[in-house]
Order: sequence, then C-alpha cells, then structure tokens
Amino acid sequence: MRPLDLISFARLGDLAVSAVLLAGLYATMAYGLGLIYGVLRVVNLAHGGVIMAGAYIGWAMFDRLGIDPYLSIPVVMVVSFALGVAMYQGLVRRLPRGAAGGPASLLLLFGVWLVLRNIAYLVFTGNDRTIRTAYSSRSLAILGSHVSLTRLVVLGLGLAIAIGLHLLLRRTLIGRAIRAVAQNADSCTLVGIDVERIYTLTFGIGTALAGVAGVLLATIFSFSPASGSSELLRSFVVVVLGGLGSVFGVVIAALIVATAEVFAVLILPSYLTSAVGFLLLVLVLVLRPGGLFGQRVLA
Amino acid sequence: MKAPPLIPRATVRAFAVVCVALAVLPLLDVSIYTHNLLTRSYILIAGALAWNWMGGFVGQVSFGHAAMFGIGGFVAGRLALELQLPWPVCWLAGALIAGGFALGAHPLLRLRGPYFSIATIGVGEASRVVFTYWERFTGGASGMSLPIDGTFKYQLYWWALGLAAAVAAASVVLRRSSFGLKLLAIKSDADAAADVGISATLYQDLIFVLSGAVVGLTGAISASYYSFLEPSDTFGFERSIGFVLMAVIGGVGTALGPALGAVVFVLVQTYLLASYPQFHLGIYGVLLILIILFEPLGLTGLGRRVARLARRRAPAEQVSRPAAR
Amino acid sequence: MLCAGVNAMTYRTCSTPCYLLVALVALSAAACKPKAAPAGDRTEILIGGTLPLTGGEARIGGFFKEGYDLALEEVTKAGGLEVGGKKLPVKLMLLDDTTNQATAVSLADKLINSDKVDFFLGTYSTALVEAQTTVAEQNKVPYVNGGGAASQIYKRGFKYIFGTLAPVDLLGTTLMTWIDEQQKAGAVPKPAKIALLWENTSHGKDFRKGVSEFASKSAGAYEIAVDESFELNGKDFSALLGKVKAAGTDLFLVDAHLPDYITMHRQYLDAALCHKIMSYGARGSEKAAIDALGRDNVDYVLSGVWWNAQLAATNPIAKKFVEAFKAKYAGRSPEWFQALGYETVRALFVAIQQAGSLDREAVRAKLAALKIDSLLPGGTLDFPADKGGQVQAPFVVQQNLPAADAPIIFPKAVANATGVAPNPHCK
Repeated sequence: MRPLDLISFARLGDLAVSAVLLAGLYATMAYGLGLIYGVLRVVNLAHGGVIMAGAYIGWAMFDRLGIDPYLSIPVVMVVSFALGVAMYQGLVRRLPRGAAGGPASLLLLFGVWLVLRNIAYLVFTGNDRTIRTAYSSRSLAILGSHVSLTRLVVLGLGLAIAIGLHLLLRRTLIGRAIRAVAQNADSCTLVGIDVERIYTLTFGIGTALAGVAGVLLATIFSFSPASGSSELLRSFVVVVLGGLGSVFGVVIAALIVATAEVFAVLILPSYLTSAVGFLLLVLVLVLRPGGLFGQRVLA
Repeated sequence: MKAPPLIPRATVRAFAVVCVALAVLPLLDVSIYTHNLLTRSYILIAGALAWNWMGGFVGQVSFGHAAMFGIGGFVAGRLALELQLPWPVCWLAGALIAGGFALGAHPLLRLRGPYFSIATIGVGEASRVVFTYWERFTGGASGMSLPIDGTFKYQLYWWALGLAAAVAAASVVLRRSSFGLKLLAIKSDADAAADVGISATLYQDLIFVLSGAVVGLTGAISASYYSFLEPSDTFGFERSIGFVLMAVIGGVGTALGPALGAVVFVLVQTYLLASYPQFHLGIYGVLLILIILFEPLGLTGLGRRVARLARRRAPAEQVSRPAAR
Repeated sequence: MLCAGVNAMTYRTCSTPCYLLVALVALSAAACKPKAAPAGDRTEILIGGTLPLTGGEARIGGFFKEGYDLALEEVTKAGGLEVGGKKLPVKLMLLDDTTNQATAVSLADKLINSDKVDFFLGTYSTALVEAQTTVAEQNKVPYVNGGGAASQIYKRGFKYIFGTLAPVDLLGTTLMTWIDEQQKAGAVPKPAKIALLWENTSHGKDFRKGVSEFASKSAGAYEIAVDESFELNGKDFSALLGKVKAAGTDLFLVDAHLPDYITMHRQYLDAALCHKIMSYGARGSEKAAIDALGRDNVDYVLSGVWWNAQLAATNPIAKKFVEAFKAKYAGRSPEWFQALGYETVRALFVAIQQAGSLDREAVRAKLAALKIDSLLPGGTLDFPADKGGQVQAPFVVQQNLPAADAPIIFPKAVANATGVAPNPHCK
C-alpha cells in the first residue's frame, strides 16, 4: 500500500502525540487491575464493571448535582473503594488464593460484573451517556498538533497516580506492608502483619483506581452499562506486558501498547489495528509469561 | 475375579433408554416449538460438554472457545454455499479445521491457570476482529446467508441428538478411563504428573484438539439450523462466556454436569427472558457467585449433596432403632 | 491416585444422568403448551415481536417500543381492528431479545410456535432481523419490520418479510446526489476527493456501497482517496484521522454509531480538521449528539435520516403522528426510530383491516399489494416485490445550521432551508 508515501515528520509527530495520550488512558485504566493481581494474585474480572460504575457515579453527580467530574473524583474514589472492600470481604476472601483459585476467582468476579451491569441497566437505562462540560471540546496546541484538553488531563492524572502509587508503596508503612504481603504472605503473619487487612485494603485501592479511571473516561467517551469489556481487555494487555506489580512497568507497557496500536495504522488497515493489542497480549504471554519486566514483585 | 466394567451396566441401560425415548419423541404429537427447542438444546449440550473436557477435565478454563465454534460454522457454511456439498460433509470439514485451529493454539498450552484464560480471551477477540475483516471467508460484517431447507432443519433434531449422545458417552468414558485419570493428574499438578511420565503437552494438545473439533462441529450444525451466521455474534465474547456459564452452572469437571447446565441455560434463556428480561444478567451473575462460593460443582454438586443426605438418613434410622430398644 | 480412580469407578453414577433426564422431560413438558383455540372463537388479535430492550441497541430498541406503544394505543382507542365482521382488540406480546441473535431467533420461535401469534413485528438491527426472518419465513408468518435496513435481508427470495426501513445504500446515494448538486453549482471542486470511513457493520458496508457506487458512476467527478473501516466503540481515531488529513480530502463521509461519532468528531475538532462537506451518515442532528458535542461544534454537519419531525410541515400523516407523540410523551419530539416503529405497526394493522381476517396468507397478500399514504418521505408506503419487500422511500438530508435547528435541505419537495456548502469554517 501507499501509506509509506504519506509519512512525513509532522505526521509522525502527530502519531507520537496520539500514542502518548492513548498511553495515559491505558495506564490509568490498568493500575487497579495490576495492583490487585500483583498482591492478591486474583484477576479482577469485574474491573471493567467497576470502571463503568465509576463512570456512572461521576456522570450522575454531574447530571443531577452539577458537580464537575474532576471535582467528583474524591467521591468516586471513596465509593469505589467501599465497593471493593465489600467485594473482597463478602466474596473474594472466601476463595483460595493463587493458582488454585484461578478459574474460580475469574468466574466469581465475572458474576459480580454481570450484577453490576444489571444494576446499571435498572438505574440508568441502556442509553449512552457522556459527561460534557464547558471545556470538553477545548484543545491546546502542543508541538504543532492539537491536543484535547480532557485527554491531556487524563495523561497528567495517569502519571500523577503512578507517582502516587509508587510513593505509597515505597515510602509508607502501609505500602511496605503491601509489598511484603505480595512477596510472601505467610511470612508476613509471622512478623505480625494482618494479611487479610492488607488484602482488603489493596482490593479497595484497586477498585478505587478503577472507579477514577471510569470518571476520567466518561469525560472523553460515551459509555453505557454494556461498556467495560474493551477497557478490561486493554488493561489485561497492559498488565501482562508490564509484568506483575511494577507500577512503572504499567506505564511503559501502556506506552508500548498505545504506540503499537497507533502506528499500526501505517501498515495495517485501520480496522485491524484493534486486533494489535490482543495479538501483543498473546505473544507476550507465550514468549514471556512474566511480562516484559519479569515476574518482579511490587517495586 | 473380573474387574468391574468401566461403566456400570445400569448406567449404560439408562443412557440407552433416554436416547431412544428422545429419538422417538418427535414422532409423538409434539409441537414444532418443542422440536426446535430440543434441537437447540442438544447442540448446546454437546458444546458445553466439549468445553468441559478442556475446562473441567484438564482444568484449563478457556474464554475463547467461540473462535472454534465460529470457524466450524463458517467453514461448513462456506462449503455448503460454494461447493454445494452435503451438510454432513461440510460439518466434518468444519470440525476438522476447528480442531486444526486448536492445534495451532498449541503454544498457549504451556500457560497455566489465569494466564491461559487471559490468553484465550486474547485469541478469541483477535479472531473476532480478523474474521470480521476477512470478507471472502465470512462475508464480513454482513455475515453469511444460507439457503433455508425446512425438511433438513427438521431432521437436524436427530443429527444433534446423535452428536449430544456421542459427546455425552465420550465424556463419561473419558472421565473414567485411564486417559481421564491422566488428565486429572495434569489438572492437579502438572509437574508432578510429568514426573510420573504423563506428558502434559501431549495430552493437553489431544484434548484441546478434540474439544475444539467438537465445538466446531456444533458451530457447523448451528449454521445449518440458523441459516445465517454473522462474525461478531459467532465469534463474540458473549458466546465464549456462554460455554463457561453452562459448564459452571451444571458442574465443571464432572462428566455430565455441563449437559445439565446447558439445559438450565436454555430454560433460563427461554422462560426467564420472557418474564423478567431486565434481570437476566443479574440472575446469571448471582448464580455464578453462589455456585463458586458454595457449590463449586454447580447443580451436580448440589444434587450429589442431596443424594448423600437422603442416603445417610436411611441407614441411620436402621441403626438408631435397635439402639433405642 | 489409583485409589481415587477405583473410588471414582465405584461411585454412584446415577445422579447426573438422572437429573439430566428429569430436566429434559421438564423442558419438553414445559414446552408442550396447549394449542390455541381455533380461529372461530378468537377474542383478540395476537401480534408477537421482539426488540432489543437491553444490550448494545437498548437505546434504539426503547425508542421503537415508544412508536409501537403509540400505534397500539390508537388502535385500542378505536376499539380494535375490524376482522370477520367484528372489532377485535389487539394484544402485543413484546419480548426483549437482549440484542442477541440466538435469543431473537428462539424468542421468535417461541412466539410463533408456542404462543401462536398471528403476525410478527421484527426486531431492530440488521443482523438480528436477518437471523429472525428465517423463522418467520419457515413458519409462513407475515413479518413486518422497521429495523433491518441492509438490502441483503430482502435478497433471499422470502415472501413473508416486509421492511419499512429503506436500504442504507440509498442513504449514501442520497447524500451524494445533494453533494453532486453542489459540485455542479461550483461549491465543491471537481474532481472532489472523498475520505470515506465506515463502521465495520453491515450498516457501514451498505453506506460505503452507496457512496462508492455513485462515485464510480460519476466518470471521475469523485475520487475516494481514503476508504477505511473501523471497529465499533473505538478509543482513538487520531491515527485514522491523520491519514485523512494527509490525503488532503475535500469531503468527509463517515458512517458511525453515536458513541463513535462523538469520539471521532471530538478528535476531528482537536486535529483542527475541516472539510468542505462533512457527514456522519445518519448521525449529526440527533439531540444526543448535539448534547455531547456542543451545538457550535456540529455546525454544517450533514445527516441522512429515514424520517424527521420537520416532515410534519409537508406531510399530514407525519403531522398527526408528531402531535400524538408529543401528547403522549410529555412534549418530546419524535425522531426516526419512533416514527418507523409506529409506521411498521400501522402498516400491519392496515393490512389486517384490509384483509378483514386473521388468515396469514390473506394478510400477506394485502401487505404485498399495500400502497398507502404514509408519514415516510415521499408520502407513500409500499413494499415493491422487485426489491424483496423492502420499501424504497427516499431519505431526507438535514444539515446543522447555526441559525436554524437542523432543517431539511433535500429533497426539494420537503426541504425548508437551503444547504450550505462549502463549510464556511474552512478557510
């Protein structure tokens, strides 16, 4: 095909900017999933459902109370955290951990996702929603290309979350406890760490992150109770690529996936670029099951 | 002393009776609706049981079986449309190519637990995108329309029943045979199994190909039944989840549990949707949660518990009576 | 391990097969409903139908239901339909097929063969209709639908299927016809380069077909420089839009669902793209789109729809419908979904009344020969046999204008404003 004729420096610059923005999106979506898997070894298949729930909470607050989505982030975080704690205490806690609980945890959390989706249908109906504020359509000119303000905010917040998570895990006592539990849960009980409490906390933080991702996504895209699958799948790809539990691994992985998808348009028909992420996922799993950054524990 | 038969005579007899009864059923005055409902159920039963060989016997939960279903369906449909081959030949071809696809997915088999499941999601979704794009093969987003043959659709009942019966018999035999034991060994601890000489890759390959071929066969028969196939529906995630739901509800890992799950699934889809459509997702979700938490073997496990309780009560009465004297 | 195997072999095996047998018997028993009373004792007209009330197309399914409900209400107020000399009430059995093909088929089977409905109202979305129509055709049940637009549904030689939704390729052709007028008037360069983006569904494919066929027959007046499909619910179209930008196109023609329209147009604006003529197929003037993107940002976007409330100005049946709808639904104005839903049901009712009986063959014949005044553009509704029973009503083209609220600009007979081209925002 002739796409190579269309390559110019400016065009590559545009693609690069798009890739970075998309990476911010993917990273923000993936943190929650990565954290939960890194510590609990449980794949949160309800991740997409929590993202959708966060989007609806943010939308409801905007639509009914007129609260700006960015200002509602703390509320969404708290509600999603509570949801995660409830999910863990009520359900996930009763499962065996690790490989033994593999398929069971997948199916359990998938069931939770179905329930979340049904609740959304009942409360909000199936109509597509999006959060549109005065600044939703504004864009800034950066390096010659126009950058949507909302996507830039997501990128910024995505990086902020990464730094925040990193600091939490490295510098705080709780963070160290989380890392210790991720490394070796049994030994932790020996040194007096309440492992169950850490698990609950981690699960809650994971869902809180997913909820925040939901609000942020709602400012850019429209969503409905049926959303969540593509977010979940993309998060999978990023988490698997980035290796277990490495926060910056997630950032780098998001960048790789986004770049692959965006630049693939140069060689593939646009429609097929949506398969690129999945193919990457399968390739990485088969060639390097530990992800690109190895099976490292939270770092 | 003779070793007990692999399958008790009584079970074989019961099975034969059930099959004959079902085969004869349409000849009695049964409505066409029931006829079609049962046909669809047999197709789902076969699919759920075949999925279970992989997900239950070997313990590798696949969320991407729709890929093989779709391949079987479209291969069969394409052959019927272009070469006008008789349907059974097309079905066979569909099954073979679906099995071949499973063989091609061999590299996935060295993944364990959730990694394998996630990889199957990736393969399933990638297949959906690629096959929706591959217009020459699937007809693209428009799908593939097949000529309707009313009499043949009526006869599908017996073809589907035959398939379901064969797959059910195979499931029971597999479960009890030494092959089944080897699979159980691999499921429990693949490394330990390798230590005693059970090659995980060989057996998993075999089961994966068999499972894929049968699911492909159900896809092919579905093509004849619906006379219309569309890639995003046929290869969709929802369909893959359907297999998982049926097996889990019925009892993943048991010999015939998924067949029960398939029947329940059909009942729910047909009757629940008519009465409470706004709750059907939630009901599946709650069912899944309850099963995973309280009865991992689904309805089969529930049934066994009830049976055990019933048996325990009877001898207990006999024991307590003499003592009470 | 061996002991476990021995135990497994001696374990009682009856539990699952027993339950299986019980379940299958229950299935059969439950399915064997008593047959419906013979026609002579009929007390009501049973019409079956399914709509996607949950799932991906839930929004539009709900809209169609509003149209159905309005039509049903009108007939109920009139006492029913005149059949066999007396007025019988109409009962609608509407089920939710959850936007799933297999469910649409099995529910159709249930309604037709178990609940014994007389006639069937089709579901919404091409794939579901295409799958469901096989059931209706096999059982020889008249099937009227306003939800299947792809012409291939009607190319299978079916006799019992009737569609009130005009084929989507006609949408592409209609848009191009208006664009052609602009080109002849000099508002658009000749030859004009087109960027054609379409969602990879049968709707998108048909749209593409309409546009590309027009272009190929235009003897070089139009060149399709970019021709790409995209996956539904995309997160990022910037790379694709970059391709469009690089190709230096004059016209931007897209076929997309609402969510993709919103995402793509936002990125279109971000990329500071501007085309002399832009369209998103049937989207653009929908209230939901304007709410999501902002009025100023959708200026001059063209859309081709099957029906629009402004037709009330020139079409008395449309006017009656709009007034009745507003009365029933708290002043809300109907869009094409509700109108098509209403008209689909009305067409069936008229055919039943014309036949004066519940005999399926008689009603089918009346549907095939139907020619009535309609709220559709063009003013008439008929199901031409050479098009397989799919109506060929023209589309109306609207344009979002800053001064007015998306007036109809084409065809001239029903237009209430003149379209603007080229887009004044582009240098």
